[in-house]
Amino acid sequence: MSSSLSALLSATFAEPGYEHLVELIHQRDAAARRRLEALDVEIYDMRGDVLGARSVDPREEVLDLGKLVGEVLPPGDRALVLFDARYDERVFPYRPHHYAYLHRIASGDPPLYYAVNATLGGVPDRIGAERLNNFETYLFRAQRFAERYSLLLGSVARFSDVEARVTCYYATASTTTTVTLAPKHHTEVALPVEHEGQTLTRVEVKSLFRLASYVVGRRAGSGSLVLFDHLFTYFK
Amino acid sequence: MTRLLRRVARAVLGVERPQVYYLPWLVRPGLDCVLMLSNLEARFNTEHNAGPFSMRVIQYDADGHRRGEHRARLERSTDVLEVKLSASEGAWGFVTVDGDHVHSDLYVTLSDGDAYAVTHGRQEFVEQYPVWSRAAMAAIGRALALFGRTVPAFVRHQYAYVGAESRSDLLLLNLSNVTNHVRVATLPAGGSSALLRIPPMGSHLLNVSRLAEAPAKGTRVVPLRLEGNAWFNLYVVGAVGAAERAAPLSLMHVK
Repeated sequence: MSSSLSALLSATFAEPGYEHLVELIHQRDAAARRRLEALDVEIYDMRGDVLGARSVDPREEVLDLGKLVGEVLPPGDRALVLFDARYDERVFPYRPHHYAYLHRIASGDPPLYYAVNATLGGVPDRIGAERLNNFETYLFRAQRFAERYSLLLGSVARFSDVEARVTCYYATASTTTTVTLAPKHHTEVALPVEHEGQTLTRVEVKSLFRLASYVVGRRAGSGSLVLFDHLFTYFK
Repeated sequence: MTRLLRRVARAVLGVERPQVYYLPWLVRPGLDCVLMLSNLEARFNTEHNAGPFSMRVIQYDADGHRRGEHRARLERSTDVLEVKLSASEGAWGFVTVDGDHVHSDLYVTLSDGDAYAVTHGRQEFVEQYPVWSRAAMAAIGRALALFGRTVPAFVRHQYAYVGAESRSDLLLLNLSNVTNHVRVATLPAGGSSALLRIPPMGSHLLNVSRLAEAPAKGTRVVPLRLEGNAWFNLYVVGAVGAAERAAPLSLMHVK
């Protein structure tokens, strides 16, 4: 493989029981429809053990991640999935974008469509981003719903543990939880909807380096994902 | 080369591109659409981090008509103000938001009462054509529409999904003051296509099962090519079942 290629490591989480189709190349324009040079997919359990790894034919446009995960992950578990892509930056001047279609089978819930986290490489490597991009925020509706919120956090690091501080904000109060993730470990951090009688308004995540991070909402009754979104970096 | 041609064409047509922040909206019976206005980004801007922040929201419907205007005032950058977008049943469109240093990711939510889905808006631009070029584009657009075609000034590609249980529809937003003929065609070329006539600042909710039949089981990936004679963008609308008027939905941005 040419050393002049650019690299992008993207990450998502997957659970059995969902249709989960990942667009390896998000079709933005004609040039972006050209293929990646190479793509490896790795699936990790919560202890950071590899459940599966495979090279994907870069001519594939959409990967059936639901099928792949269903083959290696028991029902009720969750996996961290890494996409290690090599690409030519003349083809993808910004970077390739992976998007995904996520639908819980037989749930009656609407499907979700989300942008896969870009965790390493891509533009920050090229432009030498000087500011941290690992301080992220997400807002919540003031009304209480029959929905449980949480953060899915995963470490894509190879060697070092990483601490993440998760702060939940309420009207006048806040709570902070610190989690430590070993390489390739992941966890789900519950975000209490209520604290001292006040409703959750905002969550912030701070960590020393970039984590795979999604905010999720599950129906209180069924546990179905009805919200699966990246957080926002306002610190630009 | 294409960029240069576009720049020249814009200069010839006299097109201006004022910046605008926009979000989609969509209302159905049993489905609330609520905007979440904030200015969190201001926290990190030492010159503009003190409130209050004023905002103006203009709501456009599918026909491009101004359906309403909402004004909001945030005392602090961490304040969040919710604005419920009301409409008669089965309506959609987009809102523009302008205000004091508002570039942040504002949210729009869809709720069935038990849970909600959310996406964010975009800081982009709208295209403003002068009268004479609007007239010229309208005439050319009408002529090409007779053949099911449009001027492919802007082209986007997007995957759509059509399944036995669910699908991803597209909410197409005409971000210009000219009528936008948007041709949506399945790929590879030669498959189904539809030509949509979207009024200035209007929008169109495209049910993708019009273009591709759902399989009996599983989900079919449908690559689409979209071309329009003026600037447009789209949001993905997650939909279930055939009961279109009452089923829950989700909304999601694309790059």
